[in-house]
Amino acid sequence: MNSQQNIAVLCTTYQCQQGNAHKTALRWVDADFTCADYTFAALEQQSNRYANVLKNLGYGKGDRIFLYLPPMPEVYFSFLAILKRQAVAGLLFSNFGRSAVFDRLSDAGAKVLITKQSLLRRMRDVIDGLPALEMILLVDADQDEDESVRSLPILLAQASDEYETPPTAPDTPSVLHYTSGSTGKPKGVLHVHGGISHQQQTVKEVLQLESDDLFWCTADHGWVTGTTYGITAPWSLGHSLVQFGGLFNAEHWFRLVEEQKITVWYTAPTALRMLMREEDKIKGKFDLSALKRMYSVGEPLNPEIIHWVKRTLDKDIYDTWFQTETGAHMIVNRPGLPVKPGSMGKPVSGIQAAIFVDGERSQTPGTIGSLCLKKGWPSMFVSYLNMPEAYAAKFKGDFYESGDLAKVDADGYYWFVGRGDDVMNPSGHLVGPFEVESALLELPEIIDAAVIGAPDPLLYEKVVAFITLKPGLAWDRKLEIKCRIHISNRLSPIAVPSEYHLRESLPKNRSGKIMRRVLKADYLGEDLGDISTLEV
Amino acid sequence: MEILEQLTEVFQMVFEDDEIEIDRHTTANDIDGWDSMSHMTLLMAIEEDFEIEFEEWEVIDLSDVGELIDLITEKLSE
Repeated sequence: MNSQQNIAVLCTTYQCQQGNAHKTALRWVDADFTCADYTFAALEQQSNRYANVLKNLGYGKGDRIFLYLPPMPEVYFSFLAILKRQAVAGLLFSNFGRSAVFDRLSDAGAKVLITKQSLLRRMRDVIDGLPALEMILLVDADQDEDESVRSLPILLAQASDEYETPPTAPDTPSVLHYTSGSTGKPKGVLHVHGGISHQQQTVKEVLQLESDDLFWCTADHGWVTGTTYGITAPWSLGHSLVQFGGLFNAEHWFRLVEEQKITVWYTAPTALRMLMREEDKIKGKFDLSALKRMYSVGEPLNPEIIHWVKRTLDKDIYDTWFQTETGAHMIVNRPGLPVKPGSMGKPVSGIQAAIFVDGERSQTPGTIGSLCLKKGWPSMFVSYLNMPEAYAAKFKGDFYESGDLAKVDADGYYWFVGRGDDVMNPSGHLVGPFEVESALLELPEIIDAAVIGAPDPLLYEKVVAFITLKPGLAWDRKLEIKCRIHISNRLSPIAVPSEYHLRESLPKNRSGKIMRRVLKADYLGEDLGDISTLEV
Repeated sequence: MEILEQLTEVFQMVFEDDEIEIDRHTTANDIDGWDSMSHMTLLMAIEEDFEIEFEEWEVIDLSDVGELIDLITEKLSE
C-alpha cells in the first residue's frame, strides 16, 4: 500500500483485500426506520461505478467536485468515487442557502455539482454566475435535462463497477471544507490523502473502536466531523457505521441506538441539551445496554451534560476538540484518561499544544492565551484555497494558531475559554458575522447591521443582530420574519439571528469598522473596555 | 382559502420554493431545509399569516403537517 495512499481505496478496495468484503460498512436507516446494509464489497462496487461515471464524463485529478445532498447513501458512494478519481471533494451542508453554496462553488471553481432536483431549484437564480461549473448530476432525475444537467441513475446504469484507482501520493488534495472567519467570506480548507494516517490514529486512541463495534456519528457530512469520523476514518480501518436519514427527535434517536445496538455514539452538546430537555420521553424507556460510551464535539461539553449522561444513561461521555483546519482530533478526553468535567482533555499522541500570550509561549499554568499547535501533523490542512496570505497568517513560527482562547492547568489538561475573534458558534457550527451582516444589508429596510454571538442555554451561542433601519421605518414582526427567511435561504437556518435589536447607529472605529466587541460587552452588561477609537 | 392551501403558500414562502407541495402526511424529513432551526421561523410565519398564536408546549411535539393543520383549525375556532 506504500504507493497507494488513496483514502477511498483504504475505505473500500483495501478492506475487501483484508477480508472485510462481507462485513457491513454502512447500515443506512431511513427516517421511517427501514434499513439497508451495504458491505465493504458493495461500497467498493458502488464507488467504482460512480468513479466510472466521472471518468466517462472526463472529470478526474484536481477537479473540484461538490456534493450538495442531504444524508443519503448516494453521498457516500459519490464521495468515495471523487476521491478515487483523485479529484477534490467539496462537501456541502444540505441546509445551506443559495449564497452559501454559490460562494463555495465560485471560490473553488467547482466543475461538477452532484445534487438533487429540489436543491438545484434553490440555486437556479445564481447558477449562471458559476462559469466554471460544467456539469450537474442529479441523483433523483430519471432523464437528462440537457447536456449539462444529467440524470445520475442513467449514467450509473451504463457504468462498470470495476475501477482501478491510480496510485495516489499522500500529498494529493482530497477534501475541501469551508470555514467561517471574522471577516470576509468562508475560507476553503484543503486537506490531502495523507491526512488519513492521523485520522486512523485517533480512531484507535480516542474512539477506541473494536472490530465488532457499530459506530454512529450524528454530524452531517457537510462538516469536518461528519466527513472524518462519519465516513473516512472508521471505514479506512474496517469499522461498521450507522447513518440515519431522519432529523433530530429524542425518541427516534434513542430508538435507533436501541434497535441497532449502537455501541459507540458521537454527537454534539446542543443535541445532548435537547435530549436533556426531553428527558421524560426517554428516561428508562429504551434499552441502551449495547451502548458502551459516547463522545461529543463542536462546542465545550458542559459538566452538567457529563453528569446527566452518567446519571440518566449510565454512560461515560468524552469531549473532543479539533477544527476544520486540523482535520482530526487534537485535544481530547478519552477512556483511560481521568476526566476533569469541563476540560478539553489532553493532546493526542504526536500533538504538541501550547498557550501563547503576546507572541510568547506561556509556561505558567492557568494563563489564558491563544491555543496553538506545533505544525506538521499529517492531517493538517495544506492551504486556504486562493488565500495564501490567510494561510500564512495562521502560523507563528512553528505553531498553528487555532483562534481559540484556552488555558492549561498544572496537570496538562486544556480548558477552553472562548473564541479569540468574532466568529460565532451556534449549535456547534461556526458562523462568520460578516456573512450574516452582508445578508441583512441586502434587505432594503436595513441600512446598517452587526451581529455577535451571545451565550445561550440550548445552542451554546445564539446569533444576536443589531440593526439600523431606514429613516421612517418601524420594526415589526413581519420584518423580523422577512429577515429570518432571508438569512435562512441565503446562508442557512443556523445563521439566523435569534434576537434583533434596533439601534439608531452602530459603534464604529475611525476607519468605519463596526466594533462588535463594544456591542457584545454592552449586550452582556460588561465593561465596554477601550473605546478611545469609537467614532459613532 | 382552505387551510392546506394557505399553509402551502406559507411553506413556499418560508423555504422559497414554489414547487413545495404538502399534505397531512408531510413531515420535516420531506421538505429540504425544514429542521429544528428553521422550524421557529416557519411557526412565526404561520402565526402571522393565520393571525393566531402558538404556545411553546403546543408545537414541540408536532409530528406532521396534519397535526399542524389540526392545531391551526383549533386556534382559528377559538
